[in-house]
Amino acid sequence: MSTTALLEDTKLGPKAGGLYRHQNFLTGIITGGLAMLVGWLIAHYTLQSNANWGSDMVVTVTMAAWVVGFMAGIGAFNAVFRWMIGHDQDHEDELYAAGVSQGWKRYFKFCTDHKVVGTQYLVLVMTLFAVGGTLAMIIRTQLISPNNHLISPQTYNAVISIHGMIMIIATIIMVSGPWANFILPIQVGAKDMAFPRLNALSLWLVVAAVPPILISLFIGGVDSGWTTYAPLSVQSPPGQDAFSITIITFVVSVTVAGINTITTTLTMRAKGMTMGRLPIFVWGSIVSAGLGLYAMPAFLAAQSMLLTDRVVGTSFFAPAQGGAGWLYENIFWIMGHPEVYVILIPGVAAAMDVASTFSRKPVFGYKIGIGAFFGLAVLAIMVWAHHMFTTGWAPNLADPWMLTTELISIPTGIFFLVIIGTLWRGSIWTRLPMYWVYLFLWNFIIGGVTGIYLSDVPADQYFHGDMFVTAHFHYTLLGGAMIGATAALCYWFPKMSGRMLNERIGKTAFWVVAIFFQVTYFGMFWEGFQGMPRRIAAYAPYFHTANVIATVGAYGLFLGWVILLYALIHSWMNGKVAPSNPWHAKSLEWHISSPPPLENFLVDPIVTSDPYTYGEDEAATPAKNPTPATVGSSEEGAH
Amino acid sequence: MSSNHEDIKREQIAEAVEGWTHGGPLYRRPAFRIMILVVLFSAFGIWAAAFFTDKIMPSILSTQMGSVHDTVILFTVLAAPVSALVYAIAAYSVYKWRRTGGDEPPPDGPPIRENTLVTSLWLGMSVILVVVLLVWGMTALSSENQGQLKPVTVDVYGQQWLWTFKYPGTGVESNQLVVPTGRQIRFVITSYDVTHGFWPNSLGVQVDANPGFNTYITADPTKTGQFAVRCSQLCGLYHAYMDANGKVVTPAQFSAWLISQGASSSAANAYALGGK
Ligand SMILES: [Cu+2]
Ligand SMILES: [Cu+2]
Repeated sequence: MSTTALLEDTKLGPKAGGLYRHQNFLTGIITGGLAMLVGWLIAHYTLQSNANWGSDMVVTVTMAAWVVGFMAGIGAFNAVFRWMIGHDQDHEDELYAAGVSQGWKRYFKFCTDHKVVGTQYLVLVMTLFAVGGTLAMIIRTQLISPNNHLISPQTYNAVISIHGMIMIIATIIMVSGPWANFILPIQVGAKDMAFPRLNALSLWLVVAAVPPILISLFIGGVDSGWTTYAPLSVQSPPGQDAFSITIITFVVSVTVAGINTITTTLTMRAKGMTMGRLPIFVWGSIVSAGLGLYAMPAFLAAQSMLLTDRVVGTSFFAPAQGGAGWLYENIFWIMGHPEVYVILIPGVAAAMDVASTFSRKPVFGYKIGIGAFFGLAVLAIMVWAHHMFTTGWAPNLADPWMLTTELISIPTGIFFLVIIGTLWRGSIWTRLPMYWVYLFLWNFIIGGVTGIYLSDVPADQYFHGDMFVTAHFHYTLLGGAMIGATAALCYWFPKMSGRMLNERIGKTAFWVVAIFFQVTYFGMFWEGFQGMPRRIAAYAPYFHTANVIATVGAYGLFLGWVILLYALIHSWMNGKVAPSNPWHAKSLEWHISSPPPLENFLVDPIVTSDPYTYGEDEAATPAKNPTPATVGSSEEGAH
Repeated sequence: MSSNHEDIKREQIAEAVEGWTHGGPLYRRPAFRIMILVVLFSAFGIWAAAFFTDKIMPSILSTQMGSVHDTVILFTVLAAPVSALVYAIAAYSVYKWRRTGGDEPPPDGPPIRENTLVTSLWLGMSVILVVVLLVWGMTALSSENQGQLKPVTVDVYGQQWLWTFKYPGTGVESNQLVVPTGRQIRFVITSYDVTHGFWPNSLGVQVDANPGFNTYITADPTKTGQFAVRCSQLCGLYHAYMDANGKVVTPAQFSAWLISQGASSSAANAYALGGK
């Protein structure tokens, strides 16, 4: 390491950080656990007596107490509290909060450094995928024979609901969590996010949100799917209360994170970093974040109303008291459709940047690509009722909903144009991240085309609510968005970890995932054509063949992800040390060391071109490399 | 910026774009090879869709189910070449433009930042496709509800976890759904408890059963045969078992069946054979 004064090496006074010094993940869990206990005692002895909704009240109070207790225990409220009592944090306290001189321990703390938060998010996302994936294996094992008794119908319903919700949570944050936090601020030339404390807050809120939904499995579960349609969900076991607390907490997190990403991009850009020079990934991230700000609060509203229906006897969705299930369905899908694009857009945008780097060409149609992000976001808010084509609601609106839904194929078509235009005549450099871009293209086309069948009202009258839908959205969300996110992971892994990802193991994982993915969802499309409804724990014998195919495929797919996980862990521990720019890419993050120092740039970068100057005369675009930015990185061998 | 540099850039771009049409004998040009791939990929896609609809989907027992089949085929025929184009270019790029760079990147590709012609063509093509899809869907929607005879009304009741069908005027109530050919069937659907999804497979229609009020759907059975009635909306514990048997029969068989279920013969005939 060079002798330039790196912030990491700053000596802090023995009291820097105040209470933060004594707080970490463990104190969060202990405080949260104690809060739960207190919450439970109070609720149990004061509210349980109300026979109608006593147990729901107890679960709600206990779970809410956990969230608040955990956040307090990890230190989320310290700074605000100190500010309120007039003892605002000084510079040393801020440095302590940013993780200075804490080594690996900072990864278990309420740390405000965006790179720590990004890394924490990555681990969290992978943990969630591990849980959701294991639940998927339970589902597929149950369905390996027509009348399997591996798990009871009640457990089955709980498992599919929690699988769905965990995966939705994981996919919403899979790109915006790790990469919009770790990479995006560097790409715009900032030293950190605009609101570092909110950044840590958003991460730990997700962590706090996870236990309630897992606990729900053990208190009766949720029996109405991740969509929790009312009125069934109004009558569900107390697991539903815990589920609602998870969603409410998670939505606060997504909202906070979205505001942070947008503000960072709009206000923290380096000198010369005009909006037109931003990597397309940044555009994708802010459009997704903005759409999330529109969509996610509707989920909070839906779940809050559901919770009050259950706990205090409001009747928003209870038909017997004048409520309406259709009201729930509408509010839910006002969130639900845009949410799909919140997940998708950053993954697509990352795939575009990866395609550019490994084709050694600029992103083709940069502007129209950004236009497509916005177009998709605008359309996304006008299509929700295509999920309600078969509910009987507003049949006269079928034509308009069909129109807006089919219009979506125009912006998504542009995504393909941008990527294949980028590949066209490029110098295709077949490194691991690029493999995933090809798989993304393959899968996302299938996901997109099958979506068109569902957009047609008459055809949807057959396919709605059956396994065709399940196969379709797994092709878009797992096959499209998550594969795009995997491209991003393999692309930025060296920057985050400072190690090269083992490509031999990584490519093995790629082929296993790519092949078994097709097998799995081929089986599910087959089930869908045959007419097998979604979310059933047992089925008629003639669905058997297709289900065996899907189950075998799913085992292989799971294995593929395990291999990739092994590649990641193995490389993180023993991988070759990464140079600052292993891909010879041009955006700002590749001009600083891997991993980057605290506050990223020791000298503020000055940007004079976009990061896509491949094949263009160096002389024509002078100083495209922000020279000062390399200060502070000592390239290979720093570790 | 030197004009020399601009010229080189323009040349590179022109060369890259004209790769479609120039460069040796026909079979060696990228455009030609990519088109071959497009045809192959499209043929496979269309074959797969035809296979799925013909061999795997339940048989067509109604006009609506017929239009489901037609829609799958038509949409595939439209979508396959577009998807095939993406696949073909992707496959060709790996096959032809791949550079084995190892740890060092290959030399930069041509700096093609955009191409108005290609983009406009692409956009134009998407718009045309959307219009075709939309016209198709709207036509199918508006052609529903066209029976000559008075429709046969069947009341459908969902409850956790079984279906009940009532044939108004005949006093018949059954857990089996029996409908005649040649008449429009008007289903009036509701639920006793939570939301269910009424889905008579081979009739190609589907609508939710909601507690507290009715929803409606019509089907025009064209052919006799058996089918499954399933619940398509997760409705709690035994959702998976919420099936019923369905049957399309001739009008004569239908009235015989009603009588066998306890309807008087006059009521059964009036109901089954319709009139006015
Ligand atoms: Cu949607
Ligand atoms: Cu049901």
